[in-house]
Amino acid sequence: MNDDAYEGARLDKNDVVLKTTDLEKAFGGLVATDGVSIEVDRGTITGMIGPNGAGKSTLFNLISGFYENDAGHVTVNGEEVTDLEPHERARKGLVRTFQTPRRLEGMSVREAMLVGPGPQKGESIFSLFFSGSDVTEEERANIEQTRELLERFEIGHLIDQPSTDLSGGQMKLVELARAFTTDPDILLLDEPVAGVNPTLANDIKRFIRELNEEGQTFLIIEHDMPFIMDLADPIIVLDQGKVLMEGSPDEVRSDDRVIEAYLGGAGP
Amino acid sequence: MSAVSSWVSETLVRDATERRIFAVLGLITVLLVVGVLTGVIGPRFLLFQIALVGMYALLSLGLNVQWGYAGLINFSVAAFWGIGAYCAALLTAPNSPLGLGLHPVFGFLAAIVVSAFIAVLIGIPTLRLREDYLAIASLGLAEVIRAIILNERRWTAGSSGISGIPNLMSWLPLTDAATTAAIVVFLIAVVYLFLRRVHRSPWGRVLRTIRSDEDLAKALGKNTYLFKMQAFVIGSVIMAIAGAFYAHLNLYIDPSDLVPLTTFYIWIAVILGGTGSNRGAVVGAAVVIAIREGTRFLNDIGFIQTLGIDLAPLRLLFVGGLIILIMRFRQDGLLPPKDELIWPAARDESSTGGASPSGAVPDGGTSSNGGDDR
Ligand SMILES: Nc1ncnc2c1ncn2[C@@H]1O[C@H](COP(=O)(O)OP(=O)(O)O)[C@@H](O)[C@H]1O
Ligand SMILES: [Mg+2]
Repeated sequence: MNDDAYEGARLDKNDVVLKTTDLEKAFGGLVATDGVSIEVDRGTITGMIGPNGAGKSTLFNLISGFYENDAGHVTVNGEEVTDLEPHERARKGLVRTFQTPRRLEGMSVREAMLVGPGPQKGESIFSLFFSGSDVTEEERANIEQTRELLERFEIGHLIDQPSTDLSGGQMKLVELARAFTTDPDILLLDEPVAGVNPTLANDIKRFIRELNEEGQTFLIIEHDMPFIMDLADPIIVLDQGKVLMEGSPDEVRSDDRVIEAYLGGAGP
Repeated sequence: MSAVSSWVSETLVRDATERRIFAVLGLITVLLVVGVLTGVIGPRFLLFQIALVGMYALLSLGLNVQWGYAGLINFSVAAFWGIGAYCAALLTAPNSPLGLGLHPVFGFLAAIVVSAFIAVLIGIPTLRLREDYLAIASLGLAEVIRAIILNERRWTAGSSGISGIPNLMSWLPLTDAATTAAIVVFLIAVVYLFLRRVHRSPWGRVLRTIRSDEDLAKALGKNTYLFKMQAFVIGSVIMAIAGAFYAHLNLYIDPSDLVPLTTFYIWIAVILGGTGSNRGAVVGAAVVIAIREGTRFLNDIGFIQTLGIDLAPLRLLFVGGLIILIMRFRQDGLLPPKDELIWPAARDESSTGGASPSGAVPDGGTSSNGGDDR
């Protein structure tokens, strides 16, 4: 609302999709996010790693608006979104998935997928009664898109299944596909291959890469080192709520601080 | 004829168990008709019971929008019902404290407007918060409304109640009992068709998502607060319509009608019928009321008289027992929701392969028998 609320917003270049400035969040005495400033360039797959408890998920929650930050700013496409609700940020093109797959009781995969696109005409009761044919047309297009996307992700055969009957990996795939149907400017994936078998994890890697080649920007938290090192560039390393370093996979791999953080963090 | 039977098999009866449930309901209907024809049951009595069941069915449909579609916990069903009943009574009864004696249409309109307004008022502070806030606030609302009606005698006549509420459409060439029964059937039909249209749609789909996982809906860009507000208002308005209808059915209303027990019965009806299913809400209401009213007559049965115990006060126990039975043998209720919430007009052409509409969610029959995974 306020034009000069935050100067940085105007200074962002066009090719920065997501930017955080000095984000802070504490839970009681525990500082989970301690002045984090990161930038995600358009068209990249940016990785985010860090030992357990480094504050990666917390940072995602701050960026997507699920947690309120104590200080700092978030901008999307140069626009300040710090005071917006999660759904408003999603409408601005900032769409996330969750670390633990979300179960939609009583919904088929098709149905669960169709929640993605939006805003849909058929989400307005008024349209349901007074422009039914528009709703029909849009719904048809969305059903078709769902079918194509599931087919592309090689899970077309699951379309009629209850969405709660899928394996962990299949669920992650559906979530990725659904998040993509929102037509996001940046997709935030929280551990997209956690608990996924290696074959499916490779598939997921391939699909992310394909979408990226078509221009989709990603910010991906991942614990699986080989996975993220192979997929992402640059990689941001988080430790104890702070950005430890940022660089190419090779730079990250050979950085002493990173090795130490991981050895120190993964102690027992 | 075949159009009717295919409508029945696609929209009403989805699998073998449901066929049995409907067979039992049909049998009871036949017995009631036979009872009337043979003079065992007075037609006036039966029509009154139909009107009563219809009113409870409306209430259940209302709660089903809130709890079944959106997962909203509303413990003030009786309050919204009472708001509707009092709006109708105050505006239409010539000897009400307002003394207006208006046409019943105005009572219904006032019921809709006032209940919507109060629903929004309750929704604003609670629907942004966790779900338990609405539950607590609605518990409070139920008591507040009752206290207001009891104590604001100047406006509401207090505990003496309001009598002289006119009959609806007494110009119809039917008895009053038949007219009210016809009106409630009409109301249910209108509400049911309305809900059917809004439920199987992107709108209903967002609500179903919110019910399972509100954060996910938010993450996908849905303004969950607005969706919940809409569901809450629609449900509350339906409850108030049921209340307004009741005022014209009973022709008298007083604050003791607003007991929390009504809320309890409606919750039971929705859960028993199958949370989230409109068909279930109607059938659940019928079953609960049948038990409640039916057990009134237990003491008249010769065999029970010989036992020398008074069974009628144990009615709640019967309702409880029934719930335990149903939850044991049919966890999701009598007629759980089966529909994929997809706009029907859109699915006809684009549904993949030869999958029939009802086979879209793995067809209830086979999967609930074979895939017993819970
Ligand atoms: N909602 C919360 N309440 C309190 N503490 C939290 C909450 N969320 C995260 N934390 C704490 O913040 C720290 C960072 O957690 P998290 O962001 O989940 O780390 P990561 O995802 O990197 O493993 C942890 O110490 C965790 O216990
Ligand atoms: Mg995490």
